[in-house]
Amino acid sequence: MNRKMIRLIALGSFALVVALSTARQALAQDAKTPYPSMAPLDQYLMADRDAEIAMARSAAPESISRDAEVMVLGRHGYETTNKGKNGFVCVVQRSWIAPFDDPEFWNPKGRAPICLNPAAVRSFLPVIVKRTELVLAGQSKAQMFEDLKAAVDKKELPAMEPGAMCYMMSKQTYNDRNGHWRPHLMFFAPLTDPALWGADLPGSPILAFNGKDSPERLTVFLIPLGQWSDGTDAPPM
Amino acid sequence: MKRKTVKIIPLGLFALAFALSTARHAQAQDAKSPYPTSMAPLQQYLMDRDAEIALARSAAPTSVSNDATVLVFGRQGYETAVEGKNGFVCNVDRSWMDQFENSPEFWNPKRRGPVCYNPAAARTLLPITLIRTKLALAGKSKAEMNEGMKAAIENGELPALDPGGMAYMLSKQGFLNSKCGNCAPHLMFYVPVKDAHTWGAAPLGTDAPVLLATHFNGAPEPVTEFIVPVSEWSDGTPADSDSHAH
Repeated sequence: MNRKMIRLIALGSFALVVALSTARQALAQDAKTPYPSMAPLDQYLMADRDAEIAMARSAAPESISRDAEVMVLGRHGYETTNKGKNGFVCVVQRSWIAPFDDPEFWNPKGRAPICLNPAAVRSFLPVIVKRTELVLAGQSKAQMFEDLKAAVDKKELPAMEPGAMCYMMSKQTYNDRNGHWRPHLMFFAPLTDPALWGADLPGSPILAFNGKDSPERLTVFLIPLGQWSDGTDAPPM
Repeated sequence: MKRKTVKIIPLGLFALAFALSTARHAQAQDAKSPYPTSMAPLQQYLMDRDAEIALARSAAPTSVSNDATVLVFGRQGYETAVEGKNGFVCNVDRSWMDQFENSPEFWNPKRRGPVCYNPAAARTLLPITLIRTKLALAGKSKAEMNEGMKAAIENGELPALDPGGMAYMLSKQGFLNSKCGNCAPHLMFYVPVKDAHTWGAAPLGTDAPVLLATHFNGAPEPVTEFIVPVSEWSDGTPADSDSHAH
C-alpha cells in the first residue's frame, strides 16, 4: 500500500471533521482557493431527490443501507425521507463538513455519502446537522467555527459515544483533489491520543486525525478498505 | 495501492470467514475430530521463549510492537517476558481462546494466535486470556472451562469493558486454524454484547467489511468482537503474497 498516497487521500476527506487550523488560518487561505466563499445554494442541492437517496445509501453495503434512515439536503437543512429499521442513518455530506482550512470547503461539487451507526447517529450526526444549519444561516467560516466551539462548550453538541463508527464506501464520493478517494470505515472518539490505537505509526493500517484544534474536539480513526459498497474493487493507487 | 493488494481483502476475508465459520458445525464432530478432544500434553503447546516473543510481536507493525509488553506462555501460565512502554500488550493465543461451542480445534496444540492489544483492550480483554489459560492448565475440560469462566464473570473477576478497546492480528506467522492457516491480517474491535448489532457486522462467511467473531459474545464472556480485515501483514507485505507461509 502506498501509505503516503492513502494519507493524502484521507486528509482530503470531507468526512474528516477535524479542523487542522484556526479559523483565522482558514480565512487567510480563502483568497487562494477556487472556492473562496459559499456558492449559490442551488449548486449544493441535488435536483433529483431519488438520486440523493441512492447516493446516500451507497455509503454502506446494501445489507446495512436498505434498512437505514436516509436524510437529504433541502433549502432548510437535512430532511428525513423515510423511517429506518436498523438505527443507521445515511446522508450525503456537503463540502462544509471538511476541515476549516480545506481549500474545497465551499466546493459545491463535493459529495461525501456516509452511513452512521446508531452511536454515531446520536453523537456525530448532530455535527453534520449543526454545520449545515450554520451554513444555511449564511455564516462565514469564522462565525461557524466560533458557533461550533460554543455549542461544544455548552454541550449542545454531544461528546462522541463509545462505538460510534460509520461506513464511507461509496464510489460516488467526490472532491476535486482526490476524486472518489478510497472506501473506508471511520471511528469517532472524544479527543484522544492516536497512538492509543497505534494509528499513524509506520506500517499501521489505521490513520488518525486528531482534532485538538477543531471546534468539535474529536478524533477520527480511519481504516481504508479494498472494496466499494457494491462489491467492486477499489482502484489501484 | 497495487490492484493485487486491493484484491486480497475480499479473498482474505473469505478465507478468514470460511475457516472460522467451519467451527459452527463442529461440536457434533468433536468425537470424530482429528484434533485432541481434551488437552494434549502441555509440552505441545509450549515454544521457544525467544521465538514466542518474536511471534507475539509479529501481530502488529514494529512501530507498535517494539515498545509493547510481551507475554509468553509457560508451564504456570502467561508471564511477562518484556516490559513495554506504550501500553500495548502482545501475546500468542493458544487454541482454548476458541468459542466453547462448536470448536473442534479447541485443543489443537498447533494453534498460535499472535495478538497485540491496545491499552484499553489490554485492561479488559487480556484477563479473559489469563483466566481461560489458568483453567486449561488446571486440567479442566472444555465444558468445565466454560463453567469456570461463567463463575469468574459472576464473581466480578472480569473488568468492565473500556471504550476504544481494539487489537492487531497481522502476523503472517500465525496459525489460527487448520482451514486457513494464518488466514488474513485483521483488526479486532471490542464492544459490550448489547451493542453486537450496532456496527452492521455480517456473519463470518459473508463478504462484508465488518464481521462478527464467533467467540465471546455472551458465551459466556460479555464482550462482542468485530473483525475488520486489512490488506497487509505486519511486515508490510500484501496479504495475497505468501499468505499461507509459516
